[in-house]
Amino acid sequence: MNFRKRKRKTSGIPTASMSDVAFLLLIFFLTTTKFDIKQGLGLVLPPPAEEGAERVRVDDQNIARVLIREDGRVALDEEEISYIALESRIRTMVAENPELVVSLSTHRRSRYHYMIEALDRLRAAGADRISLSTN
Amino acid sequence: MAKIAKKSKPETIIPTASMSDIAFLLLIFFMVSTVFVQEVGLRVTLPEARNIEKVPRRNSTTIYVDRNGNISIDDFLVDIPTVQDVMVRKLYDDYNTIAAFRTDRNTDYGIMADILNQLREANALRVSFESRQRR
Repeated sequence: MNFRKRKRKTSGIPTASMSDVAFLLLIFFLTTTKFDIKQGLGLVLPPPAEEGAERVRVDDQNIARVLIREDGRVALDEEEISYIALESRIRTMVAENPELVVSLSTHRRSRYHYMIEALDRLRAAGADRISLSTN
Repeated sequence: MAKIAKKSKPETIIPTASMSDIAFLLLIFFMVSTVFVQEVGLRVTLPEARNIEKVPRRNSTTIYVDRNGNISIDDFLVDIPTVQDVMVRKLYDDYNTIAAFRTDRNTDYGIMADILNQLREANALRVSFESRQRR
């Protein structure tokens, strides 16, 4: 009979690739982690109108009136216009008159993103003086 | 003479192979169980814009407005007339506070107009309309 001792296999976990796995996990989490960055359209509101204080008068020529209707249609000085056309129109107007104040008037029942869209267009057109109002 | 077998000293070995397992286990346990203090806010879908800029995190107050007109500041539901008081207190703590709006894209603009008026009354003039980057 064969009583030879069976050679026991040594069991080992290969650790050479352990660092690969660790780095893979590290890189995975590095790339997928999303920090909550706040970004948005900044604006400075006009100070509240004080009693007795003189209201700042803006020359009518220096005002561009942008109106956003309830359904999101936009009008520049009473004239219907598309958002893309608004941007180019305002850009030329600002180029002609750097003092231009854009009055962005949004209907109360209009959706917020129409206003943001218009504000974004105005920003792109280089209009710095924007006043928000509603009707 | 009797053969005195040398008593073989038992070697004391601490198995170190599973050390990394323990380390990873601890790491994963703490990763999973750590809760960062985070504002819950309201569920909103932000509008999209192109010309967005970063809002400094340090001195910004996030105002959540969802599509049903709920307003949340610091995880407190507030109504429109209260916004002024809250912002006055915020400004008292930090003069440069920026009010960062996280408003749902389908919110009625009227609510926003009312809140903006409240901010003006509170003299919180720096605002930002948070939006996602449009590609």
